[in-house]
Parts: sequence; structure tokens; C-alpha cells
Amino acid sequence: MSSFFYARLAASNIKKNRQIYVPYIITCIITIAFYYIMKSLSLNEGLDSLYGGGTIRQTLGLGCNVVMIFAVIFLFYTNSFLMKRREKEFGLFHILGMEKKHLMRVTGIETLYIALLGLSFGFLFGIVLDKTMFLLILRVLGREVSLGFYISREAIVSTITLFLAIFFLIFLNTARRLGFSKPIELLKGSNVGEKEPRANWLFAIAGVLCLGAGYYLAVTVQNPVTAIMVFFVAVILVIAGTYLLFTAGSIVLLKLLRANKRYYYKTRHFIGISGMLYRMKQNAVGLSNICILSTMVLVMVSSTTALMIGSDDLVSTRYPYDFTYYGYETHYGDIDYANREALFDQTLENNGLTKTESVRFRILNFTAVKEGDGFTIREGIDSAGFLEDFEEMAFITLDDYNRSMGENITLNDDEVMVYSNRSKIKSDKLVLDDFEFKIVKQLQAFQCVGSGALASNITSSHIIVVKSPEIIDALYEYQKERYKDMAGGIDYIYGVDVDGEDEAQLSAYEQIRAGLGQLGIPENEAVGRVESRVEGAQGFYDIYGGLFFIGIFLGLLFTVAMILLIYYKQITEGYYDRERYVIMQNVGMSQKDVKASIHSQILTVFFLPLITAGIHLFFAYPIVEKILAILNLSNTRLYVYCTIGCVAVFSLLYVIIYGWTAKLYYAIVKK
Amino acid sequence: MAILEVKSLNKIYTTRFGGNQVEALSNVSFLVEQGEYIAIMGESGSGKTTLLNILAALDTPTGGEVILDGKNLSTVKEKQMSAFRRDNLGFVFQDFNLLDTFSLYDNISLPLVLMKKEYPEIRDRVETISYKLGIHELLRKFPYEVSGGQKQRVAVARALITEPKLILADEPTGALDSSSTDSLLNLFNKINEEGQTILMVTHSIKAASHAGRVLFIKDGEVFHQIYKGSNSNQEMYQKISDTLTFISTGGELDE
Repeated sequence: MSSFFYARLAASNIKKNRQIYVPYIITCIITIAFYYIMKSLSLNEGLDSLYGGGTIRQTLGLGCNVVMIFAVIFLFYTNSFLMKRREKEFGLFHILGMEKKHLMRVTGIETLYIALLGLSFGFLFGIVLDKTMFLLILRVLGREVSLGFYISREAIVSTITLFLAIFFLIFLNTARRLGFSKPIELLKGSNVGEKEPRANWLFAIAGVLCLGAGYYLAVTVQNPVTAIMVFFVAVILVIAGTYLLFTAGSIVLLKLLRANKRYYYKTRHFIGISGMLYRMKQNAVGLSNICILSTMVLVMVSSTTALMIGSDDLVSTRYPYDFTYYGYETHYGDIDYANREALFDQTLENNGLTKTESVRFRILNFTAVKEGDGFTIREGIDSAGFLEDFEEMAFITLDDYNRSMGENITLNDDEVMVYSNRSKIKSDKLVLDDFEFKIVKQLQAFQCVGSGALASNITSSHIIVVKSPEIIDALYEYQKERYKDMAGGIDYIYGVDVDGEDEAQLSAYEQIRAGLGQLGIPENEAVGRVESRVEGAQGFYDIYGGLFFIGIFLGLLFTVAMILLIYYKQITEGYYDRERYVIMQNVGMSQKDVKASIHSQILTVFFLPLITAGIHLFFAYPIVEKILAILNLSNTRLYVYCTIGCVAVFSLLYVIIYGWTAKLYYAIVKK
Repeated sequence: MAILEVKSLNKIYTTRFGGNQVEALSNVSFLVEQGEYIAIMGESGSGKTTLLNILAALDTPTGGEVILDGKNLSTVKEKQMSAFRRDNLGFVFQDFNLLDTFSLYDNISLPLVLMKKEYPEIRDRVETISYKLGIHELLRKFPYEVSGGQKQRVAVARALITEPKLILADEPTGALDSSSTDSLLNLFNKINEEGQTILMVTHSIKAASHAGRVLFIKDGEVFHQIYKGSNSNQEMYQKISDTLTFISTGGELDE
């Protein structure tokens, strides 16, 4: 009987306070759905079929942890706001004869209701959203992506565990507050003035340092291989810096401004600074959340969009010719490829494909370790130190170069020309242990098959044009002796461009592979292989389609979370400002001035995160560019355009959300 | 010379659907002389608050006019109304109306900042007024750190700092304990003796007994008035008390 009474009281409490409870419950639902989706995505086996699927799953796993921290901070924060508004009510119950343990029981049941509501609707929403987004993006892409839809039991269990724990902690916190409070204090409740925030110099300085360090790392990172690791460190530093600066830094700055009396005692500054001090105290955490979410959305959406749009570019970098045959040699020119080339030409013709262009040349590939200005080959790659110091060397002969570029250059035996895809060789000499060449020319562009294969390599690569096949043979022998089994080889490359349908190209590709088998030269490591651009492109679209899907998916999720945050903030601000509004008018500020002053504060509060996100994005550019380079996207201008586009769309969305929630705000204030 | 003239004020409220009309004030007229200290008394619903709102230009009358220092309030444009109110009137409220995001110092200086005064002038005036009201020690504190009586002193300081022609006080002792009430009323007497005109609306007989004249309002009309003259506060208290008893028992007043 009595427990039924508490259950009913708890239900009616939530109903009575629905104005503040509805947003809270929605927040819970969204946070739970959000976590569930992240978790289930990170457990999705479909990801493994993607290029770098392991890394993506790892990243999503990290993302889950971020969401977890975010959920704890956010739910705690909103709940404490709720409880503060309800203190008076608790005080009243207290005075009407309810003991603290009864109150705790009621709040316990309330929390349980919220948890149940949140979890059930959270899962419903999460699963529906998962499915809808999947279908939607599939339609947008117009092609299959390899991410299936499924309901993950593991994700559900982990979500339930996590959120029950969070709700339990929230309940303990409420109980603690009730336990320590005195009825009379509760009754006064929110009438007790908010304490002025303290300026915490230590945190502010730590914030500046964190942010500075994060930016510095992002800007100075040189090597694409280390970029991903550095990126995570930088992200954590920037997140910490943002929180510290928004919470402590803003207060310190405002207090400094206030200390300047002549500046402070001006109508606009006077109201603005003191208003902002309290606003920042209450909102700093919420605003940093908005800022970080916005940055994440922008980086993710713009980079995956760039990859998606740029995938044609990527394909043509990776596959410079429609059809390519790679043959592996151990001596320069020791194998005759006439029968294979004949098979190529014949099969293409049979499939109605006209040959428009063809090239053939040989290239020697191996890895060297950078040492001072020169390079060295050490025995045993494991002992060679950091991956960062590895550079890829590719040698071709001058004849092949002249033929494929249509030029007529001459070189001496000790002279070379160099094309570097990432970092240039700074000295005018190319030194490799005992070999020494004079670099007579740094090539700006070099379009040949070899550069395509190198482009997909994440390390720095150099294509070196040497005078004669003898030099290549000498280099080959030298590195073979050092590397033994791991040695590089001389590739014979035959590239053909054709005119014709994709379908025909695909079937030609299959026929060539079958034909090679019949000739007794199957594809294997020792002999060679065939590549088709059309066939390879399918794989690329698959990969980038998947990445794009994840980018847009998470982008939308973060945006939804952000909309809720902004909505919540506006409502909070509304209740808070209502009283001030009236008092300021009574003291002789015109309604227009009051409105203008509050409006400008609200604007600052809401656009500060957006502007900060923009700055973060600006500093993230160098590092994101390098990570994209690993994914074969070297068209940085495309990334810049995508970013600008995303920022524009996002800002528009932000302004619309702001405008819509501002209406709610004024409705509350004017009541 | 009359600083405030109230001429046959009417205020009629119409209920939302245009049905019933309620007459909150009917034909209210009185004069306030420069340097006077007037209390307006009446029961809840007698029209006191409506009258005060009209005097403060927060509400407009249905008929009649209010002239402050020769200026008819109805001629002040809507846009200049806030500035006019700020420059000419000082307000003291029952619940203090201090902004808790401002220190007491900043609360007092608020009207001057709104008037766009320079900092050195603000500093000097806040200093002077706070010494006078005995709150100088408290200036660095925030409203939630001081007592009700101290808050009301700060509110009085804020009202006085613009040197207004008229102080309008709405139940200034309503939220104070008795010793704070005494000290606030003494403060009002002190500033009144220095020439400040005060108009106070109150329920409290004690508060009204400090005033130089008491107007009684009943059912929207000025029903009666008492001058203090040379009476002591106690004698005045008795007179007000008798009048109120008389009004509430419903009898007509003998001429």
C-alpha cells in the first residue's frame, strides 16, 4: 500500500514538473540512443570488410568512450539543474511531514522511472534511427555499402549496464544533496543567490597550454604515418583545453575586464560582463560540449565528403591506366613479355575495346632508411628504427622516362632526376650507402604507372631516373644482398588505356586473368599480376562509401545531440533571465535596452562555440590533410572546399536552431 | 510648490472577454508638495498598487492626468519613458529588486551607468551615498550575503543616487523585521528632512505614522487624509489606527 503511494507520488511529481522533465527525458533518450548506435556500430562486423576497418572500429570504440564521458557529464549536469529547481518542492514535502528517507525513496522511484523510460525509448529510437539512417544514406549514395543493419545484443547489454550505473550515481548524488540539506534551506531553494564564480588562474593557464599544445601538434606534424597517433593526442589536448578555457578561462577574462573600471562602468559592458560571468559559470560545460560536438561533426563530414567526391581522383592516381600488367624480374630485362602483351591486346580487341595508349617500362622498388641527408639500407628491417624514417625508392631508366614522357633528356652515369610524392630531398646529392648521384633536376609531375602504385604507399616515395639498366641492376643486387627475403624487385610494367564500356572492361579483365593461367603464367608473387581500373574503382567506392556513411551518420547524430543541448540551454537561460528582466526594467532600463542586452549575451553564448569550432577546424587542417593523404587523397583543395561547404551548411543549421529556440526563450522570459 | 499633481484619475480594467468592467480608481486627486513625505494606505484591492503604477508611469490611466514637476506624464513618449523614469523617479520595492549578479556597489551604480556617467563621478557618488546610509563597509558583498535590512538600504541608495524628484516606495518595510523596519523608517525621515520628497504605499500603520501626511484609499477613491502636524509618531499611530478601524467597520465618516 505504502510503496504504491510512493510510486504514485513519484509519477505525479514528474508529471507536475513536466516542463523541465520532458527535455530531461528526451536528453536521456537521445544520449542512450546515441551511445547504443556508436556501440553497435563499433561492434558491426560489416566494418571489417572496409579498408582499414580495424582502425575504424577502434576509432568508434574510442568514440564510445567519449560519448560515455559526455553522457556522465551531461546527465549529471542536467539533473542537478532539475533538482535545484525542485528544492522548494522538497522543502515543502519535508515540512508536511515527509522524512528524508521518504524523500529519497520518492526520488529513487522517480530516477527509476526516468531510467526505464529513457532506456526503452532510447533503444527504440536508436534501432529505428540506425535503420533509417542506413536506408537513407544508401539511397543518397545510390550504391551498396558493405555495412549491414543489425541489432547488437552486446551493445544493448553494455548500454543498459552503463546507463543504469549512471542513473544510480545520479540518484546517489540527489540522495546526498537531500541528506545534507536542512528543510528551511530547501524551502528557500532557488531563491538563494548564485555565488559569484571564482577566477581559477591555474585552470585557465592549463587550458591555454593544452589548447596551444594541441594546435602545435596538429600544425607541426610532418609524417602521415605518425599523424593518426598524434591526431588522437591532439584531439584529447584540444578537448581538455576547450573545457578548461570555457570554464576557467572565460571567467578569468571577464574578471580582468571587470577590473578595468573605466571600461566596466559603461552601460553595455556593465550589464554584459556581469551577465556573462554568471552565464559562463552555468553554461561553460554545456557550451564546450556544443563546441566539441560541432568540431567533430565538421571534421568528420567534411573529410569523408572530400574522400567521397575525390574518389575518382583517387582512383586515377592509384590506377593511372585502364589495364596494367606488373611482371616481376630479377635482372633488368631478363623476361620476355611479348606473349602476355599479345594476350592483353587480343583480349581487349575481342571485347570491343580500342587501345588508345600504351606504355611499357621497368621500375626497381625498395625501402631505404633516411640517415642525415642521405639514405641507408640496413640489414633486417625490424632493427631499422621508426617507420617514420622509412622512405620508398623507385628507380627507372632514362630511356623509359623519355619514352613515357615524350622527352629527350640526357644524363651522365652519376646524374639523376628525382620526383618525390611527399617530402622532397633537400640536398643536391642522392646518397645511398656507397652509391652517390648528383640530382640535376627535381621533377614536378611524373605521370606513369609506378607513381600510381607509390601513391598508395603511406611513406614518402622518391622516383629516381637513372641513366642505364646497369645501374638499376647494381642497385638491385646491392639491396638484395642486404634485405635477402624482404628485398624489392624489378617490376616490368605494361599499361594500356582503352575506349569502352565498364562491363566490357570487367569481362576483359577476367578473360586476361584466365588467359594468363592458360599460358602457364598464373598471377603470383614471383611472376606478376593484372590490374584493371574499373575493377579497382569498385573496391574504392566500396571503401569510401563506407567511410562516407560513417561520417554522415555520426555527423547527423552529433548534430541531433547538439540541437538538444542548445534547446536545453535556451530553456535554462529563459528561466534564469526572467527575474532579471523584470528588475532591470524596474530600475529604469527600457524594455528595448534590456532585450538588446540580453539578446547580445545570448548571441555571444551561442555563437562562441561555433566560432571556437571554426578555429579548431582551422588548426586541424594540416593534420587532417596528412591523414587524408594516407587514404590517397592528395587533392587538398577539394578538402578545403568540402570544409567550407560543410561549415556553411552547418552554420546555417545552427542559426536556424538558434532562431527556433530563441523563440522558446522569449516565450519563457515574457511570461 | 506642488511637485506632483494628480488630477481626477480614473482607471477601469475590462476583463478579458469584454464583459465586466472593474473600476480600480475613480476620480483620485491630490497634490504632493516639494519635500513632503506622504503615505498612502488602504486594504488589499483598494487600488493602491494601481495608483502607484500609474504614478511610476508603468501603467496608463483611463482618465485624468499626472503632472510631475510641471510635466504631464501622458506627453512623455514611449521611447523616452524609461529615461524619464530613471532621471526623475527613484523606486524602493518590497522585495528589494537587487540584481544578484551584481555586487552591492554595482547595484547602486546601475542607474548612473545607465545614465552614461563617467566612472570617477560614479565612484564619488556611490561613496558619498553609501557613507550616508551606513552601508559603506558592505559594498564589496553580493546581495545574497547580506540581511534584508541591509538589502533595503542598498535599494534606497540606488533610488537616491540619481537625486530624483520623487521617491516612490512600495511597501518598503513589508519584508523586514521590526528593528530593520525602524532603522529604515528613520532613514526615510532623515532623507526627507534633507528635502527629499517621498511617496510611500504601505499596509503598515507604523510605517505610515512616520509620514507627514497619510492618504486613505478605499474602493478606488481617496477616502480620507490625516496630517501629522506636530503630533508625535505615537499619536499619529493612534490616529491612523482609529481611522482604519473606522474604515473597516464600514461606517461613513462624520464631517
